[in-house]
Amino acid sequence: MGGPDWTYDPAEASHRALRGIQHELGRHPIVTDVRGFPTGELTRVVAALATERWGADRDDAALTVRWFAGATADAAPEFSFHYSDEASDSGWHHEPNPHVEGWGHYQEWNATTEEYTYDSYTFGSANPTRVVWEVMSSLSAELDAD
Amino acid sequence: MTEPGPGVDAWTEQTSAFDRVQSIASTLSEPRPASYIADEAYVAENTARNHLQRLVDLNVLRTIDREGTTLYAPDPLHTRMQTLRELLDEYDQDALLDLKADIQSRIEEWRDAYDVVSPSALRERAARTDTASETREIKQTARDWELLAYRLSIVEDAIENYATYTQDFEASA
Repeated sequence: MGGPDWTYDPAEASHRALRGIQHELGRHPIVTDVRGFPTGELTRVVAALATERWGADRDDAALTVRWFAGATADAAPEFSFHYSDEASDSGWHHEPNPHVEGWGHYQEWNATTEEYTYDSYTFGSANPTRVVWEVMSSLSAELDAD
Repeated sequence: MTEPGPGVDAWTEQTSAFDRVQSIASTLSEPRPASYIADEAYVAENTARNHLQRLVDLNVLRTIDREGTTLYAPDPLHTRMQTLRELLDEYDQDALLDLKADIQSRIEEWRDAYDVVSPSALRERAARTDTASETREIKQTARDWELLAYRLSIVEDAIENYATYTQDFEASA
């Protein structure tokens, strides 16, 4: 094979991850629309969710995903899956945060205190595809608990 | 194969073994052996090997030999060509020029706002911030800037080679 063995470009890897996330969300049965955002730019992926298919009827349910593959090939990715609907705001994050030890955490907006609450969270995989399905499963459980 | 984690049952219900191998392998950040991909995709290693070879034949993946072990990695050219195809399907040449201008404007806004010429120079600015929120904002902007610079390079490719890339389609239309 010609050319170098393999070279790592963080922007290409992040772009590829976002494309993969968009594709994977498109396969999920409660996702009704998924697109790169801003239009034509793809720095985020935004999905519209039909949560009533989980038995949780929420208006304007949406997931916004950011993913940065890391400065080097072996660096841990930094990402966030932010959920919002007409009444709630929460998200699964993997990035430094002063409120938790480690990078993985779940955060939820508390309308009474008007502050986020934070809980440590351990992701089962750092692969974008796996994280999509893990987060969707966790989101289903959170909405079911509400 | 590891114990199924959250979401794995739904994933395996909605996808084929080939889908999962392709999804995992196409989003790897570094070359990995078939055993790793099989584990992540919840398929048997032999199944993964067969699907991986098919993806290599299709130029979706590349193989790399390291100390006698075959590793698989996404082919960056495949990702680029897929993005090019989507752009050419969604935008005509004028719309591509508008998209290029939009991306350039966004990058110029960051250049002016932070008085730096590149994402790496912007990251250096993060060393001199006063608050954590400012540091996080700069870090996020530097990432978005890198992503947009990559995207811009593909948009420019589509514009420069528009006639060539659309020639066959237009000739047969």
